[in-house]
Amino acid sequence: MIEVCDLRKEYGGFVAVEGSSFRVDRGEVFGIIGPNGAGKTTTLKALAGLLEPTSGTITIDGKRADSRETRRLLGFLPEESPLYEEMSPRSYLRFFADLYDVPRDVADDRIGRTLDRLELAHRDRALGDMSKGMKRKVAIARSLVNDPDVLIYDEPASGLDPLTTKYIIEFTRELAAEGRTIVFSAHNLYHVEEVCDRIAIMNEGRIVTEGSLPELKSTHGETVYHVFTTVEVPDATAEGDRYRRTVEDMDELDAVREAAIDRGGRLEDVRTVEPSLEGLFLDVASPERPGGEKPPGATEG
Amino acid sequence: MRPRTLLRIARWESTKGLGGIDRGAVAVAVAAVAFVLAVGAVAVTGGVALEDGIYRVGVSEDAAYHDPVAADPTFAAVDTDGRNVDTGPPTPAGDGGVAIGGFRGDGRIDLYVEERAGRTEIYVAFFDGEPTEKGLAALAALRTSVGRYNDALMRAEDNRTAAFPVTVSIRFLDRSGTVAAETPGDGGGDRSGSAVDGGNGGADAAGGIGDGATGTGESGGMGGDTAVDAASFGAFDLFGTSSTTGSPSDIRPPFPFQSLVLAFLFVLPLNFLIQAYGSSMLSERLNRRGELLLVAPVGRGEIVVGKTLPYLAAALGITAAIVGGLWLLGSGGGPLSVLAVVPLALLFFGTTFLAAMFARSFKELTFLTVTISTLLTTYAFVPAIFAETSQVAFVSPLTLVIMDLTHAEVSAGEIAFSLGPATLVAVICFSLGFGIYREEDLFTQRPVHLKTLDALASRIHRPRSVALVVALLVPFVFVAELLAVAVLFALPVTFSIPLIFGTIAVIEELAKGIPIYAGYVHARYGRTLAVAAAVGSASGIGFFLAEKMTLAIQFVGLPGLAVADAAFQTGLGAGDPAIVALLVLAPLALHVVTATLTAIGASRGRRLFGIGLGAAILVHLAYNVAVVSTVV
Repeated sequence: MIEVCDLRKEYGGFVAVEGSSFRVDRGEVFGIIGPNGAGKTTTLKALAGLLEPTSGTITIDGKRADSRETRRLLGFLPEESPLYEEMSPRSYLRFFADLYDVPRDVADDRIGRTLDRLELAHRDRALGDMSKGMKRKVAIARSLVNDPDVLIYDEPASGLDPLTTKYIIEFTRELAAEGRTIVFSAHNLYHVEEVCDRIAIMNEGRIVTEGSLPELKSTHGETVYHVFTTVEVPDATAEGDRYRRTVEDMDELDAVREAAIDRGGRLEDVRTVEPSLEGLFLDVASPERPGGEKPPGATEG
Repeated sequence: MRPRTLLRIARWESTKGLGGIDRGAVAVAVAAVAFVLAVGAVAVTGGVALEDGIYRVGVSEDAAYHDPVAADPTFAAVDTDGRNVDTGPPTPAGDGGVAIGGFRGDGRIDLYVEERAGRTEIYVAFFDGEPTEKGLAALAALRTSVGRYNDALMRAEDNRTAAFPVTVSIRFLDRSGTVAAETPGDGGGDRSGSAVDGGNGGADAAGGIGDGATGTGESGGMGGDTAVDAASFGAFDLFGTSSTTGSPSDIRPPFPFQSLVLAFLFVLPLNFLIQAYGSSMLSERLNRRGELLLVAPVGRGEIVVGKTLPYLAAALGITAAIVGGLWLLGSGGGPLSVLAVVPLALLFFGTTFLAAMFARSFKELTFLTVTISTLLTTYAFVPAIFAETSQVAFVSPLTLVIMDLTHAEVSAGEIAFSLGPATLVAVICFSLGFGIYREEDLFTQRPVHLKTLDALASRIHRPRSVALVVALLVPFVFVAELLAVAVLFALPVTFSIPLIFGTIAVIEELAKGIPIYAGYVHARYGRTLAVAAAVGSASGIGFFLAEKMTLAIQFVGLPGLAVADAAFQTGLGAGDPAIVALLVLAPLALHVVTATLTAIGASRGRRLFGIGLGAAILVHLAYNVAVVSTVV
């Protein structure tokens, strides 16, 4: 569905994205995470046809991302969604539906249903008089006026309160369940974990790693075991009336059990701790990592 | 570009703000405009009455001065019967047989007119031994009024020969830079006319003037044989249908004041419209509002044109309404006036669009739009002042409006000359602005001069593309040079020619040098000497080829003006083929050499670019002085 091949984007002398390649299949939700300035937004804008790549190619359904045909298939939600505040949600959405050549009756029906789903009342009030959450809902509704196959969402819940955030994340999951292809970026890793099938971690313009969450965990993270004993064993910490020691494999676990028995105690409990996305992110996006180094040619200016 | 999409965007642009406008405020605004229009119509048709009855004149009903006083609403005739008037001794009769004296009045009247022993005595109100200011003003007004009254009497006279024994045809000729020796011809000798002392005192019935203007003939070569059948006598009249009588001192050179004022009506709305247009364009950039339009399946051109259309339509609608209003009032003006406003409107909108692409804030945009308003209004007005005296006036499209209003004939060449440069400049402004109407330029906050370089560099991809960009700038150069000609041509030739040489050198070298520098700033080509030579040559050749477009000015004979010849170097005055060939090829060599100097400097950084550009200007100036002034 979406194919990005060796994408490079340069602003003047500054390299924002370098050598990025990934593929998103139809119906898949693909997350892009990374620290500020990693190149996520540049990548998403290039996908939306807003930026012309300096080199490399982006195709969606086999067509160039910036072609008019492709833009008809897309729904783009930028991180900031400044609206025409003098317009009402209804007139704003109708205007964009017009630009996508959606017939008026179809547009009215679709706008009504989308705003119902988003629980947005006050459809004829000026957008400038609305709260940030309501405006974000209108922006999401705008991304759906053309009933797009592909959604590109940049930080959809950025700056919103927890309730609205939860609502928007759930809504995004519903959209994914409808079979739409979604490329999604967020700083909140929990949201990415909630929504995305596959994830790419970017740092300083490069995709450092990419895959499904289990794949990433198996590749980059390590499962550890918390072993609880009734007596103190070497390197253990007291937790209430028992002791906890973290081990990385079964041999170590056996050694702890034997040590506890030797001291007249026993092994009381073992818990498996899977690696978190946050841990992965901190590990992968760390500046100390070789992948986290400044890309060659990237200069300020 | 799809018309349906354009119309959708245009409709959205014109209606999106309607929800935010208070209906009450709209109603008040409409009522206010209607009131102003109604008052204006009444003032135009019935005249204003600000001065009615401001001077009180003591004059008996049987006095000869009573009728002129009663006919002029400025005066209020008061029959004093000599009461409360303590006249002093009048001066000996002079000034048309009218004796002037003073009186100590009670403040009720400003002038007192008495007929005594067959002569008229006029007394001015005195206070503290001095004539009052108002009394003196009333006396001056009375003189003018009596003159007009007598003129009216003469015009009503059936016997035209008796009323106007001398009839003079006056033809105003252009001031030419190549002044021909004036031959006396039949002018000067038959100076005639007299101040005829009317029976009711002091009325100059008719005047005449010798045909002293003849003799220069067509030598000016500026098509300057604009025949003025009737000079403007004293106060102007509506739509230039001036009277044909008066004294020689009343004759003024033709100055289309009325038409100029009316033409201002055509430009005024543009100044307001560009404020709204600029704000709308800039608001697309601020806070990235326009980003989502760029994602939609519409072209950038459709967005820009669609957003511009409502403002252009408003400008043309207002123009058509003005033309219609003037037509109802009996003026000239028709489709040509509307046509002339189109390139002017495009020029206003094109430059404003570019300014909105460059500005970083509304404050900066306001500064730019005010500058644009001032410059373009100057561009429209300064040349138009000479609408009836010089072909240079056709530099401005507004001249066509004036010609249309005064029912003057205009050739197709003059129309093309007048509308062409403004249209070209407007198209190029839109084109440059359009070059940076894309995500990565639209939302950046770079200073205006860097945005200018961005706009130029957006069209430069390799050394030879500099030629195209420089060629695109030539209409700007042309308009700037025409404006310089229009401003400087009124000066004596000894000053205007050196000044125009310097101005031309600066304008042309900047036009060639800035795109070169923009390419270097954006690393569009290497910094070797060979590349600099290639870039300089491309710039020089591009400029030279596009400059030849200025030959179009020959169609209206503008180079006949010495200062214009110096500016455009068409070589029309040179009959020798070798000189003509030199004038064709020498500029090519000049432009290539100077642009290469600039390119070599630019390839080594900003400071050396300045030095290279300075050297190029000096070489260009030396060429102008050495070559052009010798052969043109």
